[in-house]
Amino acid sequence: MNRQVHLCLLGASMSLIALAGLTGCGQGSSNSGSGGGGEKQRGTLTILAASSLIDAFGELGKTFEKQNEGVTVKQSFESSSTLLTQIRQGAPADVFASAAMEEMNTAVKDGLVAGDPKVFVKNREIIMVPNDNPAGIKEFRDVAKPDVKLVLAQKDVPAADYALQILDKANAEYGASFEKDVLSNVVSRESDVRASVNRVVVGDADATFGYASDYTIDIRDKVKVVPIPPDLNIIATYPIAALEDAKSPELAKKWVELVTSKEGQRVLEKWNFEPAA
Amino acid sequence: MKERSKEVLPPRTFPWSDTLASGLAVVALALLAGFVSLPLLSLMVWTVSEDSWRAMASPVAVDALLLSVRTTAMTMAVLLLVGTPAAYVLARVDFRGSRVVNTLIDIPVVLPPSAAGIALLLAFGRLGLVGRYLDVFGVTLSFTTAAVVMAEIFVAAPFYVRQAATGFGAVDRTVEEAALVDGASRSAVFFKVTVPLALPALVAGALTAWARALGEFGATVIFAGSFRGITQTIPLAIFAEFQSDIDAAVALSVLVLGFAFVVILAVRYLTARTNGT
Repeated sequence: MNRQVHLCLLGASMSLIALAGLTGCGQGSSNSGSGGGGEKQRGTLTILAASSLIDAFGELGKTFEKQNEGVTVKQSFESSSTLLTQIRQGAPADVFASAAMEEMNTAVKDGLVAGDPKVFVKNREIIMVPNDNPAGIKEFRDVAKPDVKLVLAQKDVPAADYALQILDKANAEYGASFEKDVLSNVVSRESDVRASVNRVVVGDADATFGYASDYTIDIRDKVKVVPIPPDLNIIATYPIAALEDAKSPELAKKWVELVTSKEGQRVLEKWNFEPAA
Repeated sequence: MKERSKEVLPPRTFPWSDTLASGLAVVALALLAGFVSLPLLSLMVWTVSEDSWRAMASPVAVDALLLSVRTTAMTMAVLLLVGTPAAYVLARVDFRGSRVVNTLIDIPVVLPPSAAGIALLLAFGRLGLVGRYLDVFGVTLSFTTAAVVMAEIFVAAPFYVRQAATGFGAVDRTVEEAALVDGASRSAVFFKVTVPLALPALVAGALTAWARALGEFGATVIFAGSFRGITQTIPLAIFAEFQSDIDAAVALSVLVLGFAFVVILAVRYLTARTNGT
């Protein structure tokens, strides 16, 4: 019986420890949260950014932490549509950087954004194919050839929305069935643009629509670019804004300043983005 | 349990600690039950207040449900055909390396499904270890329904094989031997004696594996991709819809919840019967 009591007590004390741990965690995070709002040089800046920004913002995040000692930059990169859903569901964040006006406009309309969004950078779409180019795609119109395994980002993801607009425009030039032929080649819809680019990088897809900025240094030995004729291409505009519920509004403002500054623009251009102005 | 201990054991020396321990245990159970039921309740509440019933009949939901039913049925067919004899060998034959095989079969249980997806991609993708040879013969697995079934088998197999092996192990050998002495063939003994005796365990294992296959997300989205009607099973559809139409995502979740509920009830019923006999 003693053993039984011991076991019970052991179990009880373990659950107490677990409870203490839980409450401890809660306190810890709320502390750092309120600390972030108070002073400039302390706290955490949380950024939700379109997945195409992962490299450029990654670099700028380090710059920001260097410029503001004691500040931690936390970033989450997903499709702008996913990020919008997360913000609507109350995800704690300070800044939203979208790959399209549409998501930002919705956020503004829902009163989730503080102040006016700023367009900070532009981008254009390209076709990417694996280096060995199994489907033999030499020019843009080849993506309509039968049996091309084409991967697109999911419905409502800006990269896919732009792709559909481009196909729509191309119909006028290549014939009315062009868009239909291309869409019938789609074998998978990925969660964001980087995921669809990775399908080409691992060689399973024959082609995908991505941004010029997605053609990063580390995939250049695996992927080739097929440009989209400029008259058919759509210029993607990226707006950025601080969020209404930001815990660190000061830091959020500073981040927007950094991104739109000369230095920020230089980093973005380095990663194949185009200047906003 | 408390009452039984009253009969068997001498009077308790520390009644206060016993009361405290059982009190804490009851609180713990209440906490856990509340933690599990609250999100489920929230799903239901949303369904009642929003018009997501309509979303359950949407083409996306119907396609996803049908695909899930189809792929999990194929998974179960393969598991029953291959997993049953495999489990029998594991339970009954003490061959060299049986420990290694035992461990190997259990690995997918602890491996995160997304890691399983990467592993499958590297093996069976177009440039994978096996996939590159399949590609020569014109067989491509990525982005096909077959890839979905492979992912489901990979993650679900251990759940069936483990329970089936335990079931076979529990069958009294003397009963089998008696049948053999009476002149029955080995295969007749297997199908007429062993399988019926192990049946509750086989069915319970099959249901657990089926539920696991039904919930499969990580391996599928990485290895098979996501496309309506081809590779987008219910979990993938929930993830995709979450980005554009949360009503549809909730509707799909409720569908799966209902199904999971039925499966758990069935397993409970069957395991209760196993314990009874």
